[in-house]
Amino acid sequence: LCCGYWDMAALIRGLRAGRVLRGLGSVAVQTLSPQGSNVRRAFHRTILLQLVNDSKSDTSVPPPSYHEVHTAGESSSSSAHGESSEDAQPNTSFQDQSGEHGEDYETEEQLQARILTTALEFVPQHGWTVEAIAAGAETLGLSSASTGMFNNGAGDLVLHFVTQCNAQLAETLAEQNNQVQLGQAESKKTAEFMRDAVEMRLRMLIPYIDTWPQAMSILLLPHNIPGSLKHLSTMVDDIWYYAGDRSTDVNWYTRRAALTGIYNTTELVMVQDSSPDFEETWAFLDNRIKDVVNMANTAKEVQATGESVVQGLMGAAITLKNITGMNQRR
Amino acid sequence: MHRFVRPQLMLRDSKQPLLPRAGHLCTNHKSVVSSVRGYVVLPPTSDEEEKAMLHRMMRVDHAGEYGANRIYAGQMAVLGRTQISPLIQEMWDQEKQHLRKFNEILAENRVRPTLLLPLWNIAGFALGAGSALLGKEGAMACTVAVEESISEHYNSQIRTLMEKDPEKYTELLQLIKEFRDDEMEHHDTGLEHDAESVPGYQLMKAIIQVGCKAAIYISERL
Repeated sequence: LCCGYWDMAALIRGLRAGRVLRGLGSVAVQTLSPQGSNVRRAFHRTILLQLVNDSKSDTSVPPPSYHEVHTAGESSSSSAHGESSEDAQPNTSFQDQSGEHGEDYETEEQLQARILTTALEFVPQHGWTVEAIAAGAETLGLSSASTGMFNNGAGDLVLHFVTQCNAQLAETLAEQNNQVQLGQAESKKTAEFMRDAVEMRLRMLIPYIDTWPQAMSILLLPHNIPGSLKHLSTMVDDIWYYAGDRSTDVNWYTRRAALTGIYNTTELVMVQDSSPDFEETWAFLDNRIKDVVNMANTAKEVQATGESVVQGLMGAAITLKNITGMNQRR
Repeated sequence: MHRFVRPQLMLRDSKQPLLPRAGHLCTNHKSVVSSVRGYVVLPPTSDEEEKAMLHRMMRVDHAGEYGANRIYAGQMAVLGRTQISPLIQEMWDQEKQHLRKFNEILAENRVRPTLLLPLWNIAGFALGAGSALLGKEGAMACTVAVEESISEHYNSQIRTLMEKDPEKYTELLQLIKEFRDDEMEHHDTGLEHDAESVPGYQLMKAIIQVGCKAAIYISERL
């Protein structure tokens, strides 16, 4: 009974403070300068955060003028004003902020990204499906109907994961490159660099390896193919760029084609590999890279031989022309 | 010709443009263009559409210089031991410089080269050699036709960039203008050396120019 009384008191306190702030809020918008209203907005936000946390009310009736302050002040600062799909879900956007310096509004893309990232935790359980997205949304306090935001359903989840992995890979490769530039690390030979980069990228699949075949088949759906191809080509381009490729002729294409082949086949081997820590996969990768290096060396040798042969033939032709007297200066 | 280097840190040391401002005559632009390093020709942009447009422009320009290179190589292969050969060699060297510059730009900005480079390799060499078989006048006529096409193409690129934002693209505009001036010089040299006296000059010129336009169109898209 005592606890109930204290809860009630907190609730009444919260409601009263909310009403006061509402009044304050509508005055503040008209009279204060932008800087002042920013400070006051932050102040409002922190107070309201505390109140919400205190009273633990996750009802969906927000103080409406809070949003008026929010959106009116917003027009002077960020351009996220247009992304107001959170009007129906206001609690999430400020519940998760630290209060003092968070974004006023997160954009729809950011919200989607957050939901999908959380949904990844449920993939081992639900697979790459809309159910995983729904579970992720519910963890964030949103209703599972927010999966309606994702037109592509499971495809969105898989593409988000791929984007995340590629971004992580690019970041790590850039960091390594930085280290080499600063002289803090040795630069690797191309084959070794390729091997390490592909291994790093494939290791990101390990937590989801059991359900990865499902993800691969989703990526192969016709409407997902442009997206998945784009991600694949960007990743391959990134790896070659950081490996030091600066070619501007047909080698640009042959190198990337070779790496795409290596990556795809190794991925396939990986999903049905049951050896400890995927040793067989890495051995397969080693062999494929050796093959490509061999092919490149052979191509170089063939070209060198070809050039010598051509020179020999030209020499023979000129000798013949000299003998027959056809070689006269014009 | 592929280059394989460790990624270099590209630093921009100062805001001062190292090339003269647009509109001023530069008498030694050749040496300046080849010796300047570390300044960014393409302005950094986060707008995808703009980036695509710039990449497309660089791709087709690179293909054009590559083709021009091969044309002169073909001409030298046939006329390499005649009196006209020093002249063709000089023009070829300038094109090599242009190609080198575009190679740098493509590598720095991670622009994809056109898929049809092998085709331009063969087609360019064949055109150069074929026109040179008609004699020195034929080679000059081919030069006139090709350089006119390329100059027109550079001019339209300059117009596009000027329409968009001359301030932002200052360095790029400068580069294209210099190259366009070089190509016009080649065109005039060709005319001076009896290009018009080849039999079928008008027909040959028309055919070559149609071919160049088609090549530019395809290279922009592929």
